[in-house]
Amino acid sequence: MNNTSTFESYLVKNNIYDEMFDSNNEIRGHYKKIIEYLSSESVENLNKKEDLAKSLFMRQGITFTVYNSGEGIEKIFPFDMIPRIITENEWQYIEKGIKQRLKALNLFLKDVYTNQFILKDEIVPTEIVYSCPHFTREMHDVNVPYDIYVHIAGIDLIRDNDGTFYVLEDNLRTPSGVSYMLENREITKRLFPDILPLCKVRSVTGYPSILHKNLMSLSPRAIANPTVVLLSPGVYNSAYFEHTTLARLMGVELVEGRDLVVHNHNVYMKTTNGLQQIDVIYRRVDDEFIDPLTFNPNSILGIAGLMSAYRKGNVAIVNAIGNGVADDKAIYAYVPDMIKYYLNEEPILKNVPTFQLSNPDEREYVFANMNKLVIKKTNESGGYGMLMGFSATEKEIEEYKLEILKDTRQFIAQPTINLSSAPCYMHGKLQPRRIDLRPFALVGPNGIEIVPGGLTRVALREGSLVVNSSQGGGSKDTWVLASS
Amino acid sequence: MLSRVADSLFWLSRYMERSDGILRMLKINYATSQDVMNDFTWRPVIKIFTGLNNNHLVELENNSREVIRYMLINKENHNSVINIITLARENARSVQDHINKDLWQCLNEYYHTIKDPSIERLLQRDDPVSVLDILIKQGMLYYGTTEITMERGEGRSFMSIGKYLERAIQSIDILDTKIGSVDTSADLLSDTSYLKHLLLSIGGYELYLKKYRKGIEAANVVEQVVFNNDFPRSVLYAINQLYRYFDRLNADLSTNQNQKLLFMIGKLQSHVKYSSVDGIYEEGLHNYLAHLKKELFGVGNALGEHYFAYA
Repeated sequence: MNNTSTFESYLVKNNIYDEMFDSNNEIRGHYKKIIEYLSSESVENLNKKEDLAKSLFMRQGITFTVYNSGEGIEKIFPFDMIPRIITENEWQYIEKGIKQRLKALNLFLKDVYTNQFILKDEIVPTEIVYSCPHFTREMHDVNVPYDIYVHIAGIDLIRDNDGTFYVLEDNLRTPSGVSYMLENREITKRLFPDILPLCKVRSVTGYPSILHKNLMSLSPRAIANPTVVLLSPGVYNSAYFEHTTLARLMGVELVEGRDLVVHNHNVYMKTTNGLQQIDVIYRRVDDEFIDPLTFNPNSILGIAGLMSAYRKGNVAIVNAIGNGVADDKAIYAYVPDMIKYYLNEEPILKNVPTFQLSNPDEREYVFANMNKLVIKKTNESGGYGMLMGFSATEKEIEEYKLEILKDTRQFIAQPTINLSSAPCYMHGKLQPRRIDLRPFALVGPNGIEIVPGGLTRVALREGSLVVNSSQGGGSKDTWVLASS
Repeated sequence: MLSRVADSLFWLSRYMERSDGILRMLKINYATSQDVMNDFTWRPVIKIFTGLNNNHLVELENNSREVIRYMLINKENHNSVINIITLARENARSVQDHINKDLWQCLNEYYHTIKDPSIERLLQRDDPVSVLDILIKQGMLYYGTTEITMERGEGRSFMSIGKYLERAIQSIDILDTKIGSVDTSADLLSDTSYLKHLLLSIGGYELYLKKYRKGIEAANVVEQVVFNNDFPRSVLYAINQLYRYFDRLNADLSTNQNQKLLFMIGKLQSHVKYSSVDGIYEEGLHNYLAHLKKELFGVGNALGEHYFAYA
């Protein structure tokens, strides 16, 4: 080691689980090889690698545009080059837990849009389902292929003080970030040549072909070559890069709402060779905007009449419409009960304890303990509309309480979970920063597959617990190791 | 392919061809401007490539550095290279699944190159030709990458149609502004350096020297720029290519063939093929060129109506 200074200042805080150092301040086995490699590099070289990463992202156009005074400025999503490493055992546990959870969530969606046994048996309160803005009555009794509602899930996991994994959120609508899982890995290959095979890191490149295979299998027409498209809101969407990447890697057409038309309850795209019928739509447009005849009438991103084609079974939509009822933060609290109810199994992955503010007893407790809790809106994502009780002022808390009382169904409270830390490269030194993990699960007729990896998001500000990209978060390559 | 995609590929390619034409034009004109004693005028260049009104034209026409800045990086100028490249890249961005990753990166890099503040600095103080060379090279990279990576299908046909349509219009514009619309009695046209400079700016000087041994004459220049099928910037060459790629497109699209357009392009091709320099001069060069231009615009509109209507 000729570069010990890089590590000198790495101070793991008490009461936080660190991914690299164990409680005796020893480097964990699975981080040893990469740390050895990094230590043999000079700070100049590491800085050069950091610059290389930036220019690679820029050159490939892996950017999003911030519009400022009419002038579009290209930004890259911050990338930290030190990988986050997951052991084989940890991964097996995560994989099992996510599969179990998704099985239950798919059954819940099928149930809630057909027989509603779970409501009749009073496992999930009826009012909480019916008051969810994403509960979509238009989905009642719609036959979706193979009863799969969630084809793609990006379930967010975090780790508490003792390293226990918790599910923070089930993203079952149009989860994004998978292109970063793929691109971050490509960048790592360039930054640290030969290190991936040396560490026995499992490949993530299979994702697009698994997804493509699943999409093809959903075609309502029994034909050899069904037409699959990826529906994007267009170039101004911040995830546009992801849409183009996935379309290219799967070899499917990238379409926008204006490219499609519904005729006689069939969906067609307008091509230079006339209209061509579409069988499967992997949509990255939210429910609200997808059909102006059924949902938001002002939407110009959607396709008029799409819902009618969907209800008739003439087109498959991925993910299904109306999934928001299963990832609502108030309904999230009942996922462990769903697992027991539908599968008769004990939940593998833990839920973060959740207080419903529509319940008077729970609300009373929450109001008395605001400074220990995080209060969230049930239907916001991206870290918006949150109150972090431990850092909020007296005044903010009082104002937030008033806000809650206006519509208690809109809020839940959870204890502050500490989020594990992982080493990040900051100005020539390694520093601990808080992270989460979003593995991407694909559900198809033949079961659930999870590519070994995911998106590790990192809160780049010191001490921050918010990893969302909209709030100053970045990402890391995520390594799942194969058995040695 | 999607109509929207075809539209984007067509325009992406037109914009790239246009930017190349502008850059080469600027390079030759700048070199010439360093060679003349009297005030060098940029008037024809400005007229061909911008929509600037007369007052502004007068202000700008003798200031080489300003003209180059205006035509390269002025955002108010719709036809400035920076705006054209931005548009080309926007078009490329929305069809990334139809062009190779290499081609997308090439255009993305071009965009970042011209947006870089160093370009403006160089234009202010240093040699403008170095800037032009940097950009021309990016353009050549684009041509090469397209040639090597583009799938030989519908997409490439639309790109080629866009390219040659743009090229034909450009050559006509240049010829018209420089010869067709100038007073024939003026001794400008007997000035060989004027004609030499025209040929240089569209890369046809060396070919001219090989073909015509008797010095530079306006009629010969017209002959080369309109009729010489070995000259890649000639009108006939561009229209022949246009026909070729349209024919190919028609073969690719089984259920949506367009005989009317094929007829239009074929007729135009014959019209050029079976005219002669003498005939052109009889009709009047300007009238002849104006007619061709009108026909080419017609082809552009018909393409839009038939293939690109999607919104």
